[in-house]
Amino acid sequence: MKRTAIFVTFFLLATCSYLAEAQSTTAMKLNEILVVNEDNFVDDYGQRNGWVELFNNSPATVNIAGCYLTDDKNNPKKYMIPKGDMKTQIKPRQHVLFWADDKASRGTFHLNFELDKEKENYIGFYNTDGLTLIDEVVVPVGQKADVSYGLDLDGTGKWLTLTKVTPDTNNKTLDTNDKIENFQHNDSRGFGMTIAAMFVVFAGLMLLFLMFKLVGKIATNMSKRRALQAKGMTAAATGENLGEEEDVSGEVIAAISAALYQIENDAHDWENTILTIRNITRNYSPWSSKIHILRHLPRK
Amino acid sequence: MDNKFFSFLIDNFNTFLSYTGFENATFGHIVMLFVGLLFIFLAIKYEFEPMLLIPIGFGILIGNIPFKDAGLQLGIYEEGSVLNILYQGVRQGWYPPLIFLGIGAMTDFSALISNPKLILIGAAAQFGIFGAYIVALQLGFDPSQAGAIGIIGGADGPTAIFLSSKLAPNLMGAIAVSAYSYMALVPIIQPPFMRLLTTKKERVIRMKPPRAVSTTEKIIFPLVGLLLTCFLVPSGLPLLGMLFFGNLLKECGVTRRLAETARGPMIDIVTILLGVTVGASTQATQFLTVQSIKIFALGAFSFIIATCAGVLFVKFFNLFLKEGNKINPLIGNAGVSAVPDSARISQVEGLRYDPQNYLLMHAMGPNVAGVIGSAVAAGILLGFLG
Repeated sequence: MKRTAIFVTFFLLATCSYLAEAQSTTAMKLNEILVVNEDNFVDDYGQRNGWVELFNNSPATVNIAGCYLTDDKNNPKKYMIPKGDMKTQIKPRQHVLFWADDKASRGTFHLNFELDKEKENYIGFYNTDGLTLIDEVVVPVGQKADVSYGLDLDGTGKWLTLTKVTPDTNNKTLDTNDKIENFQHNDSRGFGMTIAAMFVVFAGLMLLFLMFKLVGKIATNMSKRRALQAKGMTAAATGENLGEEEDVSGEVIAAISAALYQIENDAHDWENTILTIRNITRNYSPWSSKIHILRHLPRK
Repeated sequence: MDNKFFSFLIDNFNTFLSYTGFENATFGHIVMLFVGLLFIFLAIKYEFEPMLLIPIGFGILIGNIPFKDAGLQLGIYEEGSVLNILYQGVRQGWYPPLIFLGIGAMTDFSALISNPKLILIGAAAQFGIFGAYIVALQLGFDPSQAGAIGIIGGADGPTAIFLSSKLAPNLMGAIAVSAYSYMALVPIIQPPFMRLLTTKKERVIRMKPPRAVSTTEKIIFPLVGLLLTCFLVPSGLPLLGMLFFGNLLKECGVTRRLAETARGPMIDIVTILLGVTVGASTQATQFLTVQSIKIFALGAFSFIIATCAGVLFVKFFNLFLKEGNKINPLIGNAGVSAVPDSARISQVEGLRYDPQNYLLMHAMGPNVAGVIGSAVAAGILLGFLG
């Protein structure tokens, strides 16, 4: 039994660590591609070339070093993103631009292939093993100059020809807070929010109430059954006794328990029908006792 | 010694003076220093939430010592200063979930488990949050600011800080101080409304003693509580997750060390850091505004609404309960959280009208339900407005 538990724990840990590893790089998405760059963004060398934009669609920083970008399905390892460059750590919900200028010697973000406007351009993004495909897209032939092809919503959405080119920034610019505007427009007095939110609060706590009403019933029945079993009785035979037991209040049980505890531990003096707590004199002050000034040792 | 040397000394002395608090003090600073001293006085003299008011009060003093803004990295709002680093726990919302972990590890949910209908009182008291939300909208706050202000009515400092750090970071200082101040003033705010809304007959209702709760039930509670509430409101996860996790540490019986650390040294450390930095964040230049006054007024309003809603809900609930199962409406106020002060007030008020009627254990039910309820409400506000 113990071995099985160890095996299951190990298996779960292994699965979790695999999923955690996989989740980091799979969050990267191909986001926007410009094939023909005539009058658009320039690179650090003052050159205009096509580019491929990746987007980190997760709330965690992702390191893409060692991953691959390619324009050839049959050669997934065409361009390995170099390791050892801190700039390959892409912050949450941020973008990174790769220049398709076939000049990899110019740095980490310059690919060893170019985009061709005369044909379809396949772009694939592969994981560090060079086998696992993370994302791919085929840019249709006939792309216009300075018009990019990308996702209408960053990291999600549909591939289409974008109305504006947005290198290294969001494809859809959020210049308004839709949620807040919606509330301001449709619920300016706040009654809608109050009704909806109180409904959810009540629903959540009602679920808890129902669940624990049920759990309480089951627990009460089980404890009664256990008590009967301990006495060697059956439920049918002692139906009346159950009702009597219920009448004993918690205070009575506590008082009996306290009295028994005191008798067991000899913690009181016997006087004539009077129960008293024995007076214990302490020769030391608790303020000077080490036991009160040191942290107690852990017990478990 | 020539005149040059003397003028050099005088210049230096003048420069030194320009850096002192005396030179840089404004009326706002003086007001805030008095507020800090008042908090400390209330905490020591009347024992109003001393664990909170002492750190916050002293934090107000720290935050309002006037100084020349010369890039010395002294102020809490100067990036890289020691206070600023400690303040990140408030700004980024790290402290509140850690406090909730400790609260979970020290809270006994037995009263709630033995009488689950008390959970609903904790839900009703959340009306305070949304009552204040409605009024805040009318006063010109935008919905996310109104949501952050409304949460003061949840009477739960960590929740208020957590939500305001997400929805309205610029109002966080005022909201946090307001929430903690009113929590400390619960013994003054609640009783008049409890008396106003109840009859003498209702105040002496005796409730059934809670049944004994098994260990299994106590272990099931945090697990089921987490799954049910967080599936419904995932945005409440940081608070509810830590609350129920802390409670599981306490109840499972095999992690005594972790539970003791969570409810002991850890919560103490975080409370100190939270209190001092929240207090220090009330720099007069940032804090003394008309908005802050509005927030304080709204905070008082939301506490009153929450108290009234809890009491009235119990009265309404009693209409459907059989004789003998009725709930004393004096425990309705405890639904606002403010653990355990509001439950203590139920006890005190109960004893005032019937010296044998001990309501504390019963009031702890809605009290801890209020903590869950306000965390759920915060999750909803974050989901809707975040």
